[in-house]
Amino acid sequence: MMLHLRARRVPLALAASVGAAALIWALWLIFSDNRDSAALIVVLTIALMVSALSPTLAGPDEDLERAAALRWPRQRALHLLAAVAVVVVVLLATLLTGARFGPATLVLGTTAGLVGLTAACATVVGAARSWFLPLGWTVVAALFPQSSGTWGVLATWQSQPHTNGLAATVAAVLAVGGLATYAIFGAARSATADQ
Amino acid sequence: MSILGLELRRSAAAGAALLALAVGVAALYLIPGRWSEGWMPLVLTSKEYLILLWPLALAAGAWQGRREHRAKVGELFATTPRSRARRMLPVLVAMGATLGLAYLLVLVAGGVRIASTASYFPPDVVVIVLVGVLSLVAAAWLGLGLGRLLPALVTAPVLAVAGVLLVFFTAIMRPWWLGAVLSPVYGSSMWYPFQTIDSGVTGALAIWMGGLALAGVLLLVGGSPRARVAAVLPVLLGLGVATAIVPRDKAALLAPVDPVARELVCTDDAPKVCVTRVHANVLESVTPLAREGLAVLAKLPGAPTEVHEYARAIDEENPAVRDDVVVINVRIDDRGGLALPDVVVLEVVSGLGVGYTGDCPRDPAVERAAAYHLLGREPVSDLELYPEMIWEEPELNAEAVALWQDLQELPPAEALSRVAAVRAAILACQDSTGLLSR
Repeated sequence: MMLHLRARRVPLALAASVGAAALIWALWLIFSDNRDSAALIVVLTIALMVSALSPTLAGPDEDLERAAALRWPRQRALHLLAAVAVVVVVLLATLLTGARFGPATLVLGTTAGLVGLTAACATVVGAARSWFLPLGWTVVAALFPQSSGTWGVLATWQSQPHTNGLAATVAAVLAVGGLATYAIFGAARSATADQ
Repeated sequence: MSILGLELRRSAAAGAALLALAVGVAALYLIPGRWSEGWMPLVLTSKEYLILLWPLALAAGAWQGRREHRAKVGELFATTPRSRARRMLPVLVAMGATLGLAYLLVLVAGGVRIASTASYFPPDVVVIVLVGVLSLVAAAWLGLGLGRLLPALVTAPVLAVAGVLLVFFTAIMRPWWLGAVLSPVYGSSMWYPFQTIDSGVTGALAIWMGGLALAGVLLLVGGSPRARVAAVLPVLLGLGVATAIVPRDKAALLAPVDPVARELVCTDDAPKVCVTRVHANVLESVTPLAREGLAVLAKLPGAPTEVHEYARAIDEENPAVRDDVVVINVRIDDRGGLALPDVVVLEVVSGLGVGYTGDCPRDPAVERAAAYHLLGREPVSDLELYPEMIWEEPELNAEAVALWQDLQELPPAEALSRVAAVRAAILACQDSTGLLSR
C-alpha cells in the first residue's frame, strides 16, 4: 500500500497541496484584518489543492498497474474520495483558527465538483494535464463572477455564494459524473509517458 | 532557425500562445463596450486581462521548464560540447516570442473593431503595450527557470495560482506605489476614457519585469547552486531600482488624466458644442441633438448658449457652474458610436441647464417637471431611459408628473415664468421646492 502511494507520488502531492494551503492561510492570517477569507481566496485555494493532487490520478505505467488483480473501479473511487477528504479536512480545520476558509458547504461543493472535473479530464488527457481545464476555468470564474442569468451562473459556478442551488447542482453533476467516468475508465494511457 | 522551428513545434510555446490569444480575444469580445471608446480604453482593458495571461505564461513556462527532467536526458545533454546557454536559447526565444506575439495579436484583434471609430491615438499606448509584452515574456522566462528549479508536475499549477494571487493582490495593495511596481495590471481599471498610465509607473514596471525575466534566464541556464542563488540578484536589483523611480504622488498613481485626450474639441459655428478629444468622432452626432436641447432651453431668459462634455478627473473639484454652458455626459455604445442618442436632448434640458456641484440644494421632482414642460411631454422615470440606472426613488416620477400636470393647466406664460424662476433659483443656489405650485 505504501509502495503504491509512493509510486503515485502521493507524498509530494500531499506536501505541495497542504503546504500551499498553509502558505495562503498564513498570508491571510498576517495580512488581513478579516477573520473570514475572501471567497476568491477560498475558491482558488481549493483549485490549487485539487490541482496539486491531480498527478496522483495515474501511476507511472498505467498498463502495468491495470494488470494487477485489484478491483480498480473501487480503488479509483476511493482515491477520489480520499482527495476530496484531504482538501475538505484541511480547509475545515482552518475554521477553528484566526483565518477561516469557509463556509463548509462551499468548500465541500467546490472541492467535490473540481475533483470530479479533474478526474474526468484525467480520463481524456491524462493525469499530468488534468488540471488545465479545472484550474483555468476556476481562475476565470473566481475573477469575473457572473450573478445574472442562468448561463452566467452555470459558467461561473465556482464563484457563486454557497446558497446558490444551481451552482450546487453543477458541482454535484461534475462530482458524480467525474467519479463514475474515472472509476470506470481510469486515467488515459497515452499521457503516461510524460510522467 | 531550424532549431527554433523545431522548438516551436515540439514545445508548449505554440499551445500556450494560442491559448493566451484565445483567452485574451474572448475576454475582449465578451464585453466590447468596455473598450469601444478608443485606443487607450482598449489598451487598459487588455492590460487588465493580463491577470489571466500573466499566470498562464508563468505556468506554461514552468510546464516547459520541467521538460529536460521529464525526458531524463539532462546527463546526456551535459556531455554535448554546446554550452547550456546556447542550448537553452531556442526554448527561451520560442516561449518569449510566441507569448509576446499572442498579446500583440489580442490587441490587433481588438484594434480591428475600433480602428474606424477611435479618433485619438495617444503615444502612451505604444509604451504600455510593449511593457505588457515584456510582462508576458518575463512571466514565461521566470516560469521556465522555476520549472527547472523545481521539476515536479505540481510546479505549474502552483505557480498559476500564485501568479493570480500575486497579480491581483499587488494591484489593490497599499501603498499604491508598491503595487504600481509589482503588478502588471496596475492602473488598468478605467474611470474615464481620457485616462492614461503615468510613464514613470510604466517604466518602473518594465524594470521590475526585466529583473524577473533575467532571474528566469539565470535559473534556466545556470547549473550550479551558486548560479541559482545569483538569480535572486536581478530580482532585488529590479525591485530596488523600480521602487526608486516610481512616482509617489497620488495624481500619477490614481487614474491619471491624459490632458490632450481630455481637451475639448468644439464645433466652429455657434451654438458651440464641445466634446473631449477621445470622443471627437461622435461630435457630429452629438451636435444637432445638443443644439435641439439648447433651442428648448432658449425659451427661458438668460438661457445657456453652449454645450460641453462633462470631463472631471477623479480627484478634482466640480468645475464652477457657468450659466452660459450646459454640461452633459457623452455615452459611447458597443460599436464606438453615440449611445442613447434619444436622451441627449433631455440631458441638456434636465436640470434646466445648470450643472450639479453638490453644494446647492436641488429638487429632482421639480426640475424634472420643469424640464419636461419645456420639452412638451409627460415626465418618464430615468429607469426607462438609462439601462445602467438600477434604482430611483419610487415616488419621484409620480411627484414630477403631478407637478407637470399642474403646469399644463396654467396659462403658458405663467407656466414659463415659473420654470424660469426654478432655473433662477438653482443658479442662485436656492431651494426650488414649491416654486412650480405657488
